[in-house]
Amino acid sequence: MPLLDIKNLTLEIDTPLGLVKALDKINLSIDSREVRALVGESGSGKSLVVKSIVGALSDRWQVTADRMNWKGQDLLSMSDSQRRAITRSEISVVLQNPATALDPSATLREQIEESIADSQLDKGWFWQRRQQRREMAAQQLHKVGIRDHDLCLASYPHQVAEDIAQKFALAMALVSNPKLLIADNPTMGMEPTTKVQVLRLLAKLNKTRELSILFVSHDLLAISAMADTMTVLYCGQTVESGKMSQLKRRPLHPYTKALLDSAPSFRRDLPPKAALSCLDGTIPTLQHLPIGCRLGPRCPRAQKECVKMPDVRRIHDHHYACHFPLHRDKT
Amino acid sequence: MNPLLTVSNLSYSKKDKSWFGKQEHFRLAPVSFELKAGETMAIMGENGSGKSLLAKLLVGVARPSAGEILLNGESLHDKRQRFQAIRMIFQHSKESLNPALTLGSLLEEPLILNTDLDARERKRKIEETLKLVGMLPEHQYFYRHMLSEGQRQRVAVARALILNPQVLVADEPFAALDPSVRSQTVNLLMKLQRDLGLGFIFISHNLGIVRHISDRILVLEAGQLVESGKTDVIFNWPKSDYTRRLIHAYQALITRDE
Repeated sequence: MPLLDIKNLTLEIDTPLGLVKALDKINLSIDSREVRALVGESGSGKSLVVKSIVGALSDRWQVTADRMNWKGQDLLSMSDSQRRAITRSEISVVLQNPATALDPSATLREQIEESIADSQLDKGWFWQRRQQRREMAAQQLHKVGIRDHDLCLASYPHQVAEDIAQKFALAMALVSNPKLLIADNPTMGMEPTTKVQVLRLLAKLNKTRELSILFVSHDLLAISAMADTMTVLYCGQTVESGKMSQLKRRPLHPYTKALLDSAPSFRRDLPPKAALSCLDGTIPTLQHLPIGCRLGPRCPRAQKECVKMPDVRRIHDHHYACHFPLHRDKT
Repeated sequence: MNPLLTVSNLSYSKKDKSWFGKQEHFRLAPVSFELKAGETMAIMGENGSGKSLLAKLLVGVARPSAGEILLNGESLHDKRQRFQAIRMIFQHSKESLNPALTLGSLLEEPLILNTDLDARERKRKIEETLKLVGMLPEHQYFYRHMLSEGQRQRVAVARALILNPQVLVADEPFAALDPSVRSQTVNLLMKLQRDLGLGFIFISHNLGIVRHISDRILVLEAGQLVESGKTDVIFNWPKSDYTRRLIHAYQALITRDE
């Protein structure tokens, strides 16, 4: 049974122009111990998916789904307090841009100690409990590879380097021993050496703690080094999902191919200074969404049929939504 | 062929005067390199290694404490000539464009400040430059919020190009961009470079792009010039430990042992 199973998640935002579907029938499932990557450009709704999983959305936005189960329990129909209990103890989120997501007015010690729940401590006198908290905080930092915990804990967020802040945010997310870690763009703007460190850390946690990871990013290099399976989002629609190796070897959706081709690192045969292949234009804004397949206006293979949303088709465990996938010739 | 830009022994140090005498805070050790027309040079290094400072010294935002920069073999004393010849592209194209001005007036500013063109010539120049970067002349009446990310990046490039520079300096031009916009920008810059024979210096963490478009690489570590040379030489036979670490990290990301 998958840990998290989402089918046809739709998020509608009420705008002056009427309801706009910011997410349109998203399918996503995460098995236990799986590292799944959620790939998409900015504006594709990655962060909205993350927020709807943890329920951090505005009440005025309508979230509907055929299925949104956490270990078999329906997340949408449960009460707020039940849902909060689940997100508190079993799902953790590392937010984008840790240096700004942390509270600038409190030291890192205050912040991590606050995130240790009372229920995780043994009963004892208040000084014993305080001592325990401190030890736990230091332990957590060691686990994510911050050696000098005293210095780190005594500093404010602006005083630590970005990679330390990232590791600290990870430590804070892991305090509650979650089953699922959602990392929202954890390697953004990092230099390669730090990036590799953070990725190794995540991979290690995935092996040793049996932690499932939802890796949200558009850094294909990091994703291909890390993920087992990948789901590609475009403009609020899932375009393709399947095993990482399969997708990389033979993408079926034109968008996935464009995305993979845009990274020069994957293409050894590319002569230096040759033009990179890319789709024209940019991702449309929510006010100007095209009907049907939203890639339509930018897609090199688009035809008349593309004004209707294609059904999701399946080859083994490789899902894609396209009328004219790449393994078929144009008809 | 004569080098377009010659930098010799450029150094910078920041000193603090306190009661206990002068204290040196940061130092960019003497850096020397040459750039030919049509060549691309990448600057690599960790955060805080002085990459951005080097870019600032080149465009003249910061003043070097020693060394000199020669353009076509001539020293850059004339400020106006320097500002015209070396132009910069900033990292966040969105924040670097003034939201209250139309693109036309944004692009006109450098022309007013640096050239003697009259209003009609300026307008023609703006339209030409917009076409050059793949936009329409009508875009001069737009504001920045009406543009998509890719178009904003094009405007940032247009602003750098409008004075017919010989060298472009870019501080992490691709870091904040999405994959498809990034490829578009890379293609645009390579095309402009081919057509106009620009020297292009850029800072990047993205080694894939560095490898793809740069001819030469300069590696900085804590203000020291660690290594410099041809791109394939540095990628295949890195000399210093630091560069080796960077390249290995990058290789580890591409080739995944199953």
